[in-house]
Amino acid sequence: MATAPKSVRKVPEYCYQCVAGPDLLTVKVEDGVATEIEPNFRAAEVHPGGGKCCVKAYGLVQKTYNPNRVLQPMKRTNSNKGREHDPGFVPISWDEALDAVVAKLKEIRAKGLLDEEGYPRVAASFGGGGIPTYYMGTFPAFLSAWGPVDFSFGSGQGVNCTHSEHLYGELWHRAFTVCPDTPSTRYVLSFGANTEASGGVIGAWRHADARVRGMKRIQIEPHISVTGAASAEWIPIRPKTDAAFLFAMIRLMLYEHPRERLDIPFVKAHTGSPYLVGPNHYFLRDPKTRKPLIWDLKTRSAVPFDDPDADPALEGVFKLDALEVGADEQQWMHRGVTAQTSFSKLVRHMMPYTPEWAESVCDIVPGTIRRITKEFLDHACVGETIEIDGEVLPFRPVSISLGRTVNNGWGGYECVWARTLIPCLLGALEVPGGTLGTTVRLNRPATSRQASVRKGEDGFMEYPMNPTDPEHWQSSPKVRNAHGTLVPLSANSPWSQALGPTHFAWMFRKQSPENWKSVTAPDLWFVYRTNPSISFWDTAEVVNRIAEFPFVVGFAYTLDETNWMADILLPECTDLESTQLIRVGGTKFIEAFWDHEGFALRQPAVTARGETRDFTDIATELADRVGLLEPYNKAINRGAACTALAGEGFDFGLELNVKHGAEEIWDRMCRAASAEVTDGASSEGLSWYREHGYRTRPISRLVWYLFPELRKQGIRLEMPYQERLLRVGAQLGNRLHEKGIKWWDTQLTEYSALPPYKDFPAIWERETEAHGCKLEDYPFWLITARSMQFAWGSNVGIPVIDEVAGNLRGHRGVVINARRAAEMGIEDGDIVEVHSYVGKTQGPAVLREGIRPDTLLMIGQFNHWATPYAKDRKSPSMNPLLAMSMALTDATGSSADLVRVAVRRVKAAA
Amino acid sequence: MTRYAMAIDLRRCNGCQTCVTACRGANATPTGMQWRQVLDMETGEYPDVRRAFVPVGCMHCADPPCEHVCPTTATKQRADGLVTIDYDICIGCGYCAVACPYQARHIVHRNEFAFGDDRPMESELARMDPERISVATKCTFCKDRIDAGLERGLTPGVDPEATPACVNSCITRAYVFGDRDDPNSEISKLLAETAHFRMHEELDTDPGIYYIWDNAGEDK
Repeated sequence: MATAPKSVRKVPEYCYQCVAGPDLLTVKVEDGVATEIEPNFRAAEVHPGGGKCCVKAYGLVQKTYNPNRVLQPMKRTNSNKGREHDPGFVPISWDEALDAVVAKLKEIRAKGLLDEEGYPRVAASFGGGGIPTYYMGTFPAFLSAWGPVDFSFGSGQGVNCTHSEHLYGELWHRAFTVCPDTPSTRYVLSFGANTEASGGVIGAWRHADARVRGMKRIQIEPHISVTGAASAEWIPIRPKTDAAFLFAMIRLMLYEHPRERLDIPFVKAHTGSPYLVGPNHYFLRDPKTRKPLIWDLKTRSAVPFDDPDADPALEGVFKLDALEVGADEQQWMHRGVTAQTSFSKLVRHMMPYTPEWAESVCDIVPGTIRRITKEFLDHACVGETIEIDGEVLPFRPVSISLGRTVNNGWGGYECVWARTLIPCLLGALEVPGGTLGTTVRLNRPATSRQASVRKGEDGFMEYPMNPTDPEHWQSSPKVRNAHGTLVPLSANSPWSQALGPTHFAWMFRKQSPENWKSVTAPDLWFVYRTNPSISFWDTAEVVNRIAEFPFVVGFAYTLDETNWMADILLPECTDLESTQLIRVGGTKFIEAFWDHEGFALRQPAVTARGETRDFTDIATELADRVGLLEPYNKAINRGAACTALAGEGFDFGLELNVKHGAEEIWDRMCRAASAEVTDGASSEGLSWYREHGYRTRPISRLVWYLFPELRKQGIRLEMPYQERLLRVGAQLGNRLHEKGIKWWDTQLTEYSALPPYKDFPAIWERETEAHGCKLEDYPFWLITARSMQFAWGSNVGIPVIDEVAGNLRGHRGVVINARRAAEMGIEDGDIVEVHSYVGKTQGPAVLREGIRPDTLLMIGQFNHWATPYAKDRKSPSMNPLLAMSMALTDATGSSADLVRVAVRRVKAAA
Repeated sequence: MTRYAMAIDLRRCNGCQTCVTACRGANATPTGMQWRQVLDMETGEYPDVRRAFVPVGCMHCADPPCEHVCPTTATKQRADGLVTIDYDICIGCGYCAVACPYQARHIVHRNEFAFGDDRPMESELARMDPERISVATKCTFCKDRIDAGLERGLTPGVDPEATPACVNSCITRAYVFGDRDDPNSEISKLLAETAHFRMHEELDTDPGIYYIWDNAGEDK
């Protein structure tokens, strides 16, 4: 048998390989070799998923010892860049590598931080969901010290995230992502939300408990995902028509059920429903205060919305004198104008959207939509309350979740609007049992949804829109994707660049649209823990654009399709080899709701392989050599790398002109964290965290819900009428038209006060037809889905993950409806070719009953040609089948993985 | 008496493969050898379709067919119900693999490394066990953990260090492990209040894995 080890240690770590983390784990180290991952059983006392970690974490041992790792700095010897050009990487010393990077950085500082077009000369792209931040040590402090950096070259955002939810969710309920209050909900409508794949440990844990408790989840999607498998019912909806189902639900609630099924007191008091709307579609306002008006049933007169004695009319037509303020301060003073409430406008707006109409769109019979709507109402418990930590709140155990593709690109706005409106009608938004936001990334501070809430002039939450007025509109984009210019909702937080139309940074590099300044290549591009050559949209085009970048620095784990174009590779210590402290707890995407908050440590469980270096030491070295040590240390002291090193009653700040080692920096960070968590009572440092792994304190569950804060501040939910968006869109249109820009006009139509249903699938169909193709030649919709094994993980080169993912049907294949395949002479395992108007791909057919006959599915995004191991695992991929396109870009700057395709049998199974 | 058994709540399992991967790591099985597997099953015809995930492995039967056919007595059953294989005695004839109605036995004749035979990782070399080549292997219910835990006074199914790795790792709490003969064990209490079945009960192997599919009721 295997020799018994002489020494065995279990080292506490965290895993943040996906946005649903962090999870806490231990790694078993036998005679200095990491051998086994286990949950952190002790952490069950604080971690909402029992201290467990998901399948991805179990790949970390292989990740550490992967023989394909880059273990020493490398430089490119082939000056030609592109997929067809072998980079000819050769090993160099750290000094030579850092000298090369620093020389370029100094050259840039000498020229000026902005280039001739006003764009930052330094750009950086990191992986999705902020994940790399949890592995890059103090590098954020280096970037902060540097100055302007362009983060707008997308690596997957927009087309691969729930983009509409991010932007509109933050606007309406501080909800960067949205989920059910799973521990207490009873009925969930999930429109393609693949929670069992993307919800991480905590999501899976909560939903399993809920299922056993009796929670009923209805999965509405074109194929049965793993989430559909774990749901009570599957409803196979036609791709990209989810808004029709939701609109029909609203119509049913307004027309076929009595008003008392709604939470009328909530609607009147806590939403904008009573606000009166003028003839030009803007709110009617008090001429003196400019406050929106409501109709008071007591005095039978119009009064400001915040009149404490008013009994607002919810429906009706009223006559009044009022001011109406439109875009760019256009004003109309009305005398005796006839006006409706926002709610009445809604009722009228929804009239056409009957279930019979919806059936023609989304292919679900009216009886099903009626039944689902009735079940939803029956479970809503309108009128019931629950006490949480001494506060009485509405109890509404019904919720709606939206998945990717439903929730980005055209139709995303309409789905998110409807998904937000329905719980508003039932008093079920941001209350126990209902639909909740998880975190904020566009509003500040990012650490607290509640603290980000401030009351605006119209009684809704303030929102940091990018300005659209003539004086403040950003007419010349400051970064290459132009989020500040084109997307007011993307705001101006550290995350905003990543939430603009990130494909424009790539697209406009090739050709700028009319009346648009040229988009330059950055002088230097940092890339870490992301692979846009695979993970983005129209990846062949992305590769071509990267190849034009003059100097690329890749923080490299292995060679991959993006750092293939790098000039310098810097090998960093990976997950089990380096030190970092992070915040844990509170509420965070995707279902990470904790009853504690605090900090957790990642530490070297094993000796770093080869010449790899801790990312913090790399950042410090760069800062020192570039001459930025002081601002770098200041940024760390300020909290740029985790938490501020000084606070009330403690100061562990770094001396500004000293080059500190990683251990020293993280020891100070641990001390500050201890002081923060214990209100200054303790200051244990790195050694304490190395032994214990984490430190937390309990928090009130009230932070899970935004409604208490809204109620406290007297803030209404901005539903149903979107007067602010209407104005912003009109102003944005004015600004763009003043510059002669017409190519954003279609996107401007999204800024509607009450969104009409549009034929969303037709937008993608027209793209096929625009390329001279006949739709009948492309009879299938091709869609994709996440897998828990790979999602966000940067782990395609890990064999054990690939092995176990293969246990799920559909991985590395083309999933097709069995009966439809039989009609086409396709048998299970046959190699089929799938082609779109852009390109083609091949893979084995996977015959399943659980997919619509008009739909094909390819799970994940695998099209590797450079990443070791992954490049040898041939898989069909959507990448060659999609093209970046203005027409497919919605007003928020996103699109969806969706395309019309044809399929043909190539040969029999091997 | 003690009979270690496992309950798997099919309502909870979401097919994530965490247990499979944890088992691979805990037991250092060669590439591709999964003592714990999770099947991805589909029933019905479009549009009336169900998809379900079903964890499988050695059932640690009370009357194990593998033991009956073993020509060398390598396969035995312990007093606590665990079905074991003595690798020193096993000749790798494969009779047991044929006899097992659950397809739970595995035999490999060479140890495949994850990145190829010429590039074994340190973690693989540290735990490679030549004794398990060309012999029958299978899920042991992590008997080494159970035994080591019992020696320390721990309770299998309660204390993680005495509990199988798949159970410990499960992120949906689908697995419950413990002593079926102890009416106060969690598994016994859970089975008393749920509807469940065992695979191929008609074969009278008395398997030790119970599949829960609903709450108990008069009509279940």
